[in-house]
Amino acid sequence: MGEEELHQLIRGCIKQDRKCQKMLYKAFYGFSMGICLRYAGNRDEAAEVMNQGFFKVFTHIESYDITRPFKAWLGKIMMNVSIDFYRANLKMAYTEDIESAEHVSDGEMVDKNLNYNDLLTMVQQLPQAYRTVFNLFAIEGYSHEEIGSMLNINVGTSKSNLHKARQKLKLMILKADSSANNTNYNSGTNYNTSIVAINATSMNGVFLNKGIRE
Amino acid sequence: MNKENDKELDDLFKKKLEDPVDQLGYKEEDWANLEQMLDKHKKKRGIIYWLPVISSVAALLLLFLGWLNFRPQVVRHNPKNGLQTVNHQKQSHTGTGDGPKRQPINQKHTQTNNADYAVNTTINKNSGARKSIIKSSAAGSRRNTTGPIQTAIEKVKRKDDEALLAESPAPGFELEQFTAVPVTPIYLQNNKAIPVTNTGQSKNVKIKAGSQAAFRPRFALSVLAAPDINGVSSFQESKVGTNAGLLFSAGLFKKFTISTGVLYSDKPYLTAFENYHTQYQFPVNPVNVAANCQMLDIPVNIGYQIYNKHQNKISIGTGLSSYIMLHQSFTFNYANPYNTGPSNFSAPNGSGYFFGVLNLNATYERQINSKVGLSFQPYLKLPLTNIGYSQVRLQTTGVAVGLTWNLNSLSKP
Repeated sequence: MGEEELHQLIRGCIKQDRKCQKMLYKAFYGFSMGICLRYAGNRDEAAEVMNQGFFKVFTHIESYDITRPFKAWLGKIMMNVSIDFYRANLKMAYTEDIESAEHVSDGEMVDKNLNYNDLLTMVQQLPQAYRTVFNLFAIEGYSHEEIGSMLNINVGTSKSNLHKARQKLKLMILKADSSANNTNYNSGTNYNTSIVAINATSMNGVFLNKGIRE
Repeated sequence: MNKENDKELDDLFKKKLEDPVDQLGYKEEDWANLEQMLDKHKKKRGIIYWLPVISSVAALLLLFLGWLNFRPQVVRHNPKNGLQTVNHQKQSHTGTGDGPKRQPINQKHTQTNNADYAVNTTINKNSGARKSIIKSSAAGSRRNTTGPIQTAIEKVKRKDDEALLAESPAPGFELEQFTAVPVTPIYLQNNKAIPVTNTGQSKNVKIKAGSQAAFRPRFALSVLAAPDINGVSSFQESKVGTNAGLLFSAGLFKKFTISTGVLYSDKPYLTAFENYHTQYQFPVNPVNVAANCQMLDIPVNIGYQIYNKHQNKISIGTGLSSYIMLHQSFTFNYANPYNTGPSNFSAPNGSGYFFGVLNLNATYERQINSKVGLSFQPYLKLPLTNIGYSQVRLQTTGVAVGLTWNLNSLSKP
């Protein structure tokens, strides 16, 4: 989308023009969903959070500074609503003891075959507290101090959550590798639906994932 | 090794997850959900759209009615009575005479007229009256009135004092204008009233000074223009004036805003002669006085935000204004066109009245975009002291319309 076209859409949104809102929504659906999916446990949750984000965008569009990149502004809003969602679910979120994962080897971690969906599913399987810290640190690039103040947790908790998230992800990658080698791993086209089944049955015991997210 | 590995892991997720693939296809049902949310929001907004306007008007109305109810009652003087003319002079030199307080005490004093009291009043009267004589002669010379009349009046006053002490009737001419005996309790009352008003004022100033600690301040600049209604003691006889000026405001904490600036005000007003205080002795008392004042209004206000949603903000505020007089002119109207005194007078410039006016306001601001907002501010200005050369209690109400620039948005990279 060209700069001028975008500005035209934004002007339409300021006038609360429904058509312009829909066009903007469609244009940035993928981008916004990409962010929300990383923070959410599943697609439905992500869509709900993303809609919250767009609602904020449309009701506060007049506060957008047209001289700054729209994508950055939108991305920030999506990240913020995701964090708000995390905060709202804080009571439900749990941090699990994962001492057993401490021994995970630092062996072959990077598997070239893992695609977007594989990695996304792994991140989504993390407990919400770990997932949020991992997103903010590894992907958005915030420091532990910044994360601490954003999530209202202390730096130690942030570091510990990140560590545990990494341990879990490593385990999942190793598991995915071995599954692929044994040809049990379903990396076909209907991946999105099948992973839930794998998760619910075979992975449950391995990752101590007590089924909270499922 | 471990750190490197972690970095590698982070990078792997960052690289792949930052670039979502096409599978995040658009779903019409997601849009339908959002549309529902937006529709709900729109309906809700429709109801509350006028709420801010209505509530600010209501707030102002309430304030105004409250003020009308509790306003100081003006003592109605009989212009033919020479005694009342003396009263005016005493009020003007203290500058803090207060209507409702004055009246009850007056009554009390006429009831208890004992010996102790007589001693006090004599002392007070002596000091008070002497001062006023000095002042009145100074004022008289500035006004270019005829010298002999002025000196005659001074003589009258001196005699008047003596008459009080001796309680003996003065010559006929003096008696006619100044039957001074019942006046004496008023001096006392005035003297007592001074500390009361002063403490009240200093308290106000202290409260404002306490709220200065800045926390991530937001700055804004406003251009304001306002038509307003001016009246003395009430708005029963009022005239329309104009204001225009610049205001600078800084947001402290989340909801408090402190603002200051300069407003140029043109305030015409009409008042009964009873409200007009001067040392000058009119040969014939005018019926009323039409005044035209131009002044600089320097407000220091504090505002508290009570509503902030979407583009709409409502806040209520209070503060104190200082007036710097630029020009004052008065026109005197007489009942009898053949028996008149001076018809007009321009007062000297440059006097300031610091924190002499209480501001009460409610502001409705609508954000047009991130930088500019439009504001409507109904306000009421109540005098704490007598203002201007004529020492009137000039009150003002009006609605200021303004444009506000958010200075923070300009400084962003």
